Amino acid sequence: MNIDFYIDTDTVIHRLDGRTKILLFIFSFVALVLFEDPLFILPVALLILLENTLARAWVNIWRIRFLLLILSVSGVIMWNLFASGETHLFWFVDLESLQYSLARTMVILLMIISGMNLLSTTRNEELVLAMIKLGLPYRVGFAISTSLRMVPTISSSIYTISQAQRSRGLDLESGNILERIKKYVPLLIPVFISTIRSTNVFGMALESKGFGARDDRTFYLKMDMATRDYVTLTFTVAVVVFCLYINFLDYGNIAGLTKF
Amino acid sequence: MPDSIVSIRDLKFRYRGEKKLALDGISLEISKGEFLVVMGASEAGKSTLAACFNGLIPHYMKGAIKGEVIVQGINTAESSVPQLAQNVGIVFQDFEAQLFSTNVELEVAFGPENFAVPREEIGRRIEENLQYVGLEEFRNRAPFTLSGGQKQKLAIASVLAMQPTILVMDEPTTDLDPISKQGIFDITNRLRRRDDLTLIVVEHETEEALNADRIALIKNGKLVQVGTIEEILKQVELLEELGVMPLGIPKFFKKMGYARLPLTPDAGIETFHQTGWHISEDKYTQLLDKESLTAQHDDQPIIRCRNLEHTYPNGVQALKGIDLDIYEGEIVAIVGQNGSGKTTLVKHLNGLLTPTSGDVIVHGLHTKEQGVFKIGRKVGYVFQNPDHQIFSERVYDEIAFGPRLREVPTEEVDTRVKEALEAVGLTGFEEEDPFSLTKSGRQRVAVASVLAVQPDVLILDEPTTGLDYTEQRSMMEMVRRLNEQGSTIIFVTHHMWVVAEYAQRVFVIKDGRILLKGMTRNVFAQEEILKASYLRPPHFVQFSNKLGKTFLSPDEMISCIERG
Repeated sequence: MNIDFYIDTDTVIHRLDGRTKILLFIFSFVALVLFEDPLFILPVALLILLENTLARAWVNIWRIRFLLLILSVSGVIMWNLFASGETHLFWFVDLESLQYSLARTMVILLMIISGMNLLSTTRNEELVLAMIKLGLPYRVGFAISTSLRMVPTISSSIYTISQAQRSRGLDLESGNILERIKKYVPLLIPVFISTIRSTNVFGMALESKGFGARDDRTFYLKMDMATRDYVTLTFTVAVVVFCLYINFLDYGNIAGLTKF
Repeated sequence: MPDSIVSIRDLKFRYRGEKKLALDGISLEISKGEFLVVMGASEAGKSTLAACFNGLIPHYMKGAIKGEVIVQGINTAESSVPQLAQNVGIVFQDFEAQLFSTNVELEVAFGPENFAVPREEIGRRIEENLQYVGLEEFRNRAPFTLSGGQKQKLAIASVLAMQPTILVMDEPTTDLDPISKQGIFDITNRLRRRDDLTLIVVEHETEEALNADRIALIKNGKLVQVGTIEEILKQVELLEELGVMPLGIPKFFKKMGYARLPLTPDAGIETFHQTGWHISEDKYTQLLDKESLTAQHDDQPIIRCRNLEHTYPNGVQALKGIDLDIYEGEIVAIVGQNGSGKTTLVKHLNGLLTPTSGDVIVHGLHTKEQGVFKIGRKVGYVFQNPDHQIFSERVYDEIAFGPRLREVPTEEVDTRVKEALEAVGLTGFEEEDPFSLTKSGRQRVAVASVLAVQPDVLILDEPTTGLDYTEQRSMMEMVRRLNEQGSTIIFVTHHMWVVAEYAQRVFVIKDGRILLKGMTRNVFAQEEILKASYLRPPHFVQFSNKLGKTFLSPDEMISCIERG
């Protein structure tokens, strides 16, 4: 199993500083949640899709297409339950609530796509370093990067353990839900035990490499904000400010919509 | 000693919550630039000692400590692990758990970063050390995508990048395959020639200790002896008593009652010619005749692979057409490097994997149509790491797991658990907590839990890895006993002496194909072809090959010697 979404190519977006990309992600979130009307979300949506195309990150969107599909269908239906309007269409669906559902669903999908752009174009270590440079304490950043590092190790031990138990006759595919949950005990305990055993060595190795020996440390990975970063950020801030202004003027809402 | 770099004085240590002393009065002086190998049985205190050099004991692992460890004039008890890290580097056995980064270069940078070494200097050290261990081309890879041997090399590079004056390695090669081991030994060999670096290595493989300056033997936390290679390795009986594998060549000459003991194959040949002994042709022919009797099979094989191919979903073709027969009552070894396809092969024999092309037929039935649940009843599979399967609080439940899953009646389960425990030599351990047992104890529980299903064929994946010599012997004696009681045995191993002394037939796998197969003696006679697969027979077999005959153990050769 591989959950690393990083795509190792060189694009305009890849070349941006990690900090720029994190800010881009946060700003697009701000710009997206302002409006109730899907039409007003559309411009930001196009910008995010443009970023995605520039980053050549469509492969990753394709990888999670089923998740996106499920979220789309369920989103468009479920959000109707949380809003109502004046023009009744059918069952619990009104025209206004349908518009609102579309908008909310778009926001969720676009946030995922925007997050995917970040992960597709930024290496784990750049991401963590960017967070640290943005003010996250080093130890917290290190913890995040360590958990990212552990994922492939743990998933490979899960694979081996499940093969070992299947060889002994464990059949994970049959039985009702309760029985199946019980069957996972022989998998989970060895996973925990072996992870804990290796965590002990991990801790020793960490101290042995001088972790926390002194207050200052060097960051070998170099991060520099370049002109392209300032241009991108200026543009993004301008878009967000414009969106805030429109929202302040009371545009972008759906007339007759009641949210619960 | 004026140039002593480490001095340990009457060191005693007891882990918190334990009654026994893990180290019991160790005094040792290590001089600058020396290469010291520490040997001893499992649980003898080797790793505990290794953890003392950089202050992991007493700072990280808590317990009661007496005596002192002085490293370059610093008392470790008065310093801290991160402080000592500048002088003392340590490489652990578990190569997975000592890598923190998601990128090879950054892994090497990590240590120097912690000491705020300037960026340019870190860059230089990355360059230098990746080159030193031969990982330059992997600089942008994620460490988890590397092989075990490469991970261990990376661990070494990342420690060397901190420019320690003392490098401690705690069983760095135990979990590696022969070619990766060789890679690490090559690095160690280059390191030992550096006089600015003191090397302290905990090691199981006696043949690899030959390059050291001195060997320290440890037993029950006590330093039994420390001396030069010659002094230590000639004491065959002492080594065996301490759970350390003696070299085959001195063992042979010792058993023959010869006084001057050579250590290496070349020295062995020289000495042999001086003795005037010779090998009796008649007796050797008798030996071969006896062997060829056991090699004849008129019955049908119980496992047959026909043109077996396997391609993984990611497109890697691991097996490229394997034909293999296993007959009832055999004991067969499968050897090869990691990635050669040997594990993929044996996983086909119990139905864990099914061929993407070709057939695997067990007891006349195609595995494709049966699946692992049904085949598993006939073919048991013991995985390498017992911790990947043990989950119960009682040994009894662990062993009863398989039979219960197969709905064996309760009284029958009782007898099977009893029989399985007896077979692995753990009678009376029913109520014990398996996690409190030693590695070799847990290994036995894992074997017993597979035996309790009463398979005809038993597959063991690296049954001796991580055990000391005494434990390896008793594990393999147990396997041989099971074989004599009727089980057909297939084992995968990297330990060539285990193959030499216990397997009747060998399959050498390379790049998804069978490179060599046959009776163990014939396979080990073909040293050149084995070398192509980066395998080499034990020293003793090499020695006998040079004399024109292939003997698999000193005892075998002794039975064919004529003095005169």
